[in-house]
Amino acid sequence: MKPSNKSGLLFLLFPALAIYLFAVVAPFIGTLGLSFFRWDGYAKPIWAGFDNYVRAFKDQVFQSTFAHVLIYILVTLIVEVLLGLILAGYISSRRNTTFLRISLFIPVMLPSVVIAVLWSAIYNPDYGILNSILADIGLANLQHVWLGDPTTALLSICLVSGWVYSGFFMAIFVAAFSRLPSEVIESASLDGAGAYQIFRKIKVPMIQQSTSVAILLCITGGVQGFDLFYVMTNGGPYNTTEVPTTYLVKTVFANGEIGYGSALAILISLVGLFAALGFRTWQSRKQEELEY
Amino acid sequence: MKNFKRLGSGLIYLYALAALLPLIWMFLSSFKSDGQIAQNPLGLPTHFDLSVFKQSWSDGGLGLYAINSFIVTLVTVVIVLFTSSMAGFALSRLKFKGNRFITGLFLLGLLLPIQAYFIAQNQMFDYLHLKDTRFALIIPYTAMGLPLAIWLVKTYIDSLPKELFEAARIDGASDLQTYRTLMLPIIRPALMNVIIFTALGAWNEFLLALLYIQNESLKTLPAGLLTYSSRYETNYQLLFAALTMVTLPMIVLYVAFNKQITRGLTQGSLKG
Repeated sequence: MKPSNKSGLLFLLFPALAIYLFAVVAPFIGTLGLSFFRWDGYAKPIWAGFDNYVRAFKDQVFQSTFAHVLIYILVTLIVEVLLGLILAGYISSRRNTTFLRISLFIPVMLPSVVIAVLWSAIYNPDYGILNSILADIGLANLQHVWLGDPTTALLSICLVSGWVYSGFFMAIFVAAFSRLPSEVIESASLDGAGAYQIFRKIKVPMIQQSTSVAILLCITGGVQGFDLFYVMTNGGPYNTTEVPTTYLVKTVFANGEIGYGSALAILISLVGLFAALGFRTWQSRKQEELEY
Repeated sequence: MKNFKRLGSGLIYLYALAALLPLIWMFLSSFKSDGQIAQNPLGLPTHFDLSVFKQSWSDGGLGLYAINSFIVTLVTVVIVLFTSSMAGFALSRLKFKGNRFITGLFLLGLLLPIQAYFIAQNQMFDYLHLKDTRFALIIPYTAMGLPLAIWLVKTYIDSLPKELFEAARIDGASDLQTYRTLMLPIIRPALMNVIIFTALGAWNEFLLALLYIQNESLKTLPAGLLTYSSRYETNYQLLFAALTMVTLPMIVLYVAFNKQITRGLTQGSLKG
């Protein structure tokens, strides 16, 4: 329907629009603009054309951050989605699972800094619990300086992410399973299908939509991931856990390269966007093939 | 077959226990001296001394960080609630030029990661002397929460029968009256979700809190906890006491409202 009066409409829309334009849209345009300048934040900005972008494509540290984040996404994707599916499959086929639902979801609630500080303590070689458990069960030779060793640091952070988000994906999948028509599952079970078969052949394929969303969240969340990396290793040891966002923050706030950092920021956003779009088109194409 | 099933259950519960171990360890360690933590990490505490919590809360500054987080979160949630419900209502029900453009503009915000705009935002806030004030966090948290909040409100109102609003119009109510008396009460379920993800988002946000607030007395919990953890790097017990104090209320909150929170968070993310 038509607005009853113009001023009323303005009153309804203006506050949200003003805040959003001021704090998101304008800074986005600003960042895009800054990416074409060379600027340290103080002196006059110098027009640089596409120089910053050209430099980014030659920047080997920046490129390596995408390799790290790719490993991170792949590992967390497999761990989180798989664990999430298994846990959700178990929970949705039993009664009295409140304890599991609650205890596995709790990490999702916590501030990531709390999680990062807690897990830094767990990995700590002096008093951390991981090394002492390994010693207790006779695996002392597996002890590591987990976050200080280039071979284990990245995977150690992946594990933390897995600890948090497998519970989150579990909740998404539990909700998806609960929406499935119960007749299908009942009739399969009457036909003699076991719980595992029902899970594998019926329930999991039927919630493909949710699985796609989970994978999408893993991809975008991975590209944008910052908190755990910044607190636990801040890119070290020897840049082995440097991810796009930690490198970006260093470029802008430690090195004062605002123009170059803006170009990196735009590229990171584009990569995340294209990864998500790419996955979606691939997914829908697969869907079409299935339908024919 | 039955044994196989039991093995499955056993494994799942073993996993759940392992997943809880970090939190249990954190909790127990906050009652143990540094020596006990290092020598006997899994041992039970010998006595329950609560003074360490007090020390961490007042001397450690944790209380101050918590109050700051509380203020920033509360103000953000209140502003998001009002502005998103007003805008969501207008975008869902009112026909005007530019409606689709504005809706699209807000939807764009669901795709824009924070990296796409925080650099220029930092420069703007610097220029406007907003940094080191609470507004430096409240404004961006509100702006970041708005796209999803508006989207949730709008789709919720879209699903309501049109006649409801037309009847109010025929009765002579203006849009603002309709918003206040008719709409706000019915969209409560959608607003519940808005509250949940906006509050958690503001409470947990770290990057902007780290960059925009240097003043110790204005820091929120995530950034404050980082300073705290480097200050007490070698004082394990105080570190664990702080972690426990931040974690326990959130666990209690979750246990009390787990259904709503899980629904709010999963629904919120599904539309990302």
